[in-house]
Amino acid sequence: MVVAVIVAVVIVAVSAVFVSRTFGSSREPSSPSAGAIAVVNGFDACGDGWSGPATGGAFDFAVSNSTIAGEAVYLEGADDRKVYAEAEGLGPSTVYHLRVTLGDGRYRFVCIPAGNDPIAGPVVTVRDSPAGLVPTPGIEVVTRADLLPAAHTYNEWVGSRIKELASDAQRLATAIVSGDRAVSQAAWLTAQQDYSRLGAAYGAFGDLADAIDGDPAAGSSALEDSDLHGLRKIEALLWSDLPIAEAAPVAARLITDIGSLTATLTKTPVNAIDLGLRSHEILEDAIQFTLTGADDAGSHTGLAVIAADIEATRAVLDPIRPLVTPRYAGLSDADAWLARTATLVASYKTGGTWRALDSLDRAQREALDADLERTVELLAPIAAVTDPRVADQ
Amino acid sequence: MTKNRNASTGGTGPTRMVGRRGFMGAVGVSLGTAALGAGIGAAAVHTDAAPSAADSSAAPTGGRFAFHGEHQQGVLTPPQAAAAFLALDVTAADRAELSELFQAVTSRARFLTAGGAPPSVGITAPPSDSGVVGPDISPDGLTVTLSVGASLFDDRYGLADRKPARLVTMPDFPNDALRRDMCDGDLLLQLRADHADTVIHAMRDITRATRGGMAVRWRTDGFISPPRPTGTPRNLMGFKDGTANPNIDDPAEMARLVWAATDGSEPAWTAGGSYHVVRLIRMLVEFWDRVSLREQENMIGRSRDVGAPLTGVNETDTPDYLNDPNGDAIPTGAHIRLANPRTPATDSSRLLRRGYNYNAGTDINGQLDMGLIFTTFNQDIKRQFAAVQQRLVDEALADYISPFGGGYYFALPGARDSNDWLGRTLMN
Repeated sequence: MVVAVIVAVVIVAVSAVFVSRTFGSSREPSSPSAGAIAVVNGFDACGDGWSGPATGGAFDFAVSNSTIAGEAVYLEGADDRKVYAEAEGLGPSTVYHLRVTLGDGRYRFVCIPAGNDPIAGPVVTVRDSPAGLVPTPGIEVVTRADLLPAAHTYNEWVGSRIKELASDAQRLATAIVSGDRAVSQAAWLTAQQDYSRLGAAYGAFGDLADAIDGDPAAGSSALEDSDLHGLRKIEALLWSDLPIAEAAPVAARLITDIGSLTATLTKTPVNAIDLGLRSHEILEDAIQFTLTGADDAGSHTGLAVIAADIEATRAVLDPIRPLVTPRYAGLSDADAWLARTATLVASYKTGGTWRALDSLDRAQREALDADLERTVELLAPIAAVTDPRVADQ
Repeated sequence: MTKNRNASTGGTGPTRMVGRRGFMGAVGVSLGTAALGAGIGAAAVHTDAAPSAADSSAAPTGGRFAFHGEHQQGVLTPPQAAAAFLALDVTAADRAELSELFQAVTSRARFLTAGGAPPSVGITAPPSDSGVVGPDISPDGLTVTLSVGASLFDDRYGLADRKPARLVTMPDFPNDALRRDMCDGDLLLQLRADHADTVIHAMRDITRATRGGMAVRWRTDGFISPPRPTGTPRNLMGFKDGTANPNIDDPAEMARLVWAATDGSEPAWTAGGSYHVVRLIRMLVEFWDRVSLREQENMIGRSRDVGAPLTGVNETDTPDYLNDPNGDAIPTGAHIRLANPRTPATDSSRLLRRGYNYNAGTDINGQLDMGLIFTTFNQDIKRQFAAVQQRLVDEALADYISPFGGGYYFALPGARDSNDWLGRTLMN
């Protein structure tokens, strides 16, 4: 009953506004609703409302869902299977606008009602595109299955790095017990960088992530916050005037918490979807929390952490690279800017000593900000292209 | 870490800032090109000219300004209601990257001032546009004006011998309290539009498209009030501000007062440009509001309500200094009398004002931080802005204002056509 009503309403809309807008003048703002093509998507008919041949240009499809549950709708190339537009999680009484510019070719809608197999709509030919048309780019979707090998590779790598983190944490605890502040500070930085390199795995660590690398409560410093433990607490203590021995129990607790990581990761490994997201989010965090000095508990080693964050980003990128390369032409630019930023950051290291961020002069700081911001801009599409979707077959 | 890297795809690519994709990526740049099409120059646009006299009240809304031309937009064009001023330092690695930066700004400005639908990237990337002004971009009277500061002509880009002859770093004037972190910059980007959302949209678009090439040094947003009730808009001291401006409809006057000299004293590449002076001037409004009206008006030289000079009746009346030699009506130390004595000797120091109000929160004492983004265009900073400033040293008004930022810049010549770019004559 509900379905019938919705279909009826939409069919009226189809007959009223069946207009194919062209991109004849790209300077003319197209009005989205006036020229929209209503397209109904469901079990009985997928892509119902769009028929060809159509003239290439800008299209505005008002897609609706004639099933009684959620549905994913793709507009794909009938021959290359590339997806040009999507409506995911389309509700039964929803109309969602897909704005897409299509060049000459054969296209069709694909409907995937929740829990069901994909249904392909009729093929529509688009032709006679105006010269100079810039069509919407399409890509073959990445599925969860596609990502599994990458996630497996990444999880294996994380497992090996946790072992290294554990041994470096042990060295830190030993140095603290020995009472040598300089050695302890160096050991702390090594452990902090180890942890930062696991930047895509934090989500899988659950509460342990906060236990190992949590920040102080709002309004409190790492030194003052009596509930805080982990690397930041150790940092605050090692760079304070307090006796170094006060860091010993915190270091012991750190070793315990890191010991629990392997078991946690076995139960809940890094999610495949996290790889694409974290490829820009690790450096987004660096910009938000490290570059601003917000997560500095006294060591002023933000540049060392950013260097580790860049390595963490590359560690995420490498396993998904085979999926990204054919889908993102800007990957080589992203790599080049990662390298450029890494080189700049590394230039502030002399021996084992890093320049403090706040010691950079204005031009140095602006160059660092600019490089990082350009890099995240170029990394961002990786999350979009590797977002797991349901393939049409 | 290296052992985990895929050797064939390591970060060994070119470190050129902009690869084949350009700053904005293929989609953005091609859209800019596609959006050019035919007829932008011929499209219905505001002309650079506008009604004279109190032209600042005559800004049309909903319009579109020609992007291409001998001069940039945002110089003579009448001021819109909203503005942002961004001083930027260039972080481009070399001269080639600097050229790419100029081209990227040009490409985005060309698109944004024309309007249209931003490109759809489908599922391949985050949206190409911020969406701040909706799915289709209206020009909304947007003008984008790019100027260069003296620091761009240091040894980084080999431009030392290209510096406009009269471009220097803004000095401290006697009554200034300049904070250098709010001064200067390699570039100044002046964005103006009929509405604040369009200004912010343009700011986000251009900074996004140029990441890596430049960093924001300081930024101030401005607004112009509507006429209250008529005539020139008021500043935040309550006075009409900008009444006596040169006649932008008089090309000869503009050639004398605004556009870069063509007598051989400037490098040839500057033709069509203008010296762009921005001064961030805080008004101590709490103090000002405790001053009697008569004293306020004597400091300014105009009536507050009407805006008429104290020798006249209407806002547009010319101040009569000839019959007021001792300053009985308009005190000799009044702002308008010092700034423009209206003598043959001072005629060439007149300048084109395009000021905006700013409103920026509070200071450490809880006093309101607001004032004026004093903006002028000049042919010769020393002959015009600096000479006027010199006459204003220790004026009575100086106790109620505090200049704290800004800079001297040179507004680049316009982009002539769809193949041209802002800065081309400087770089090539």
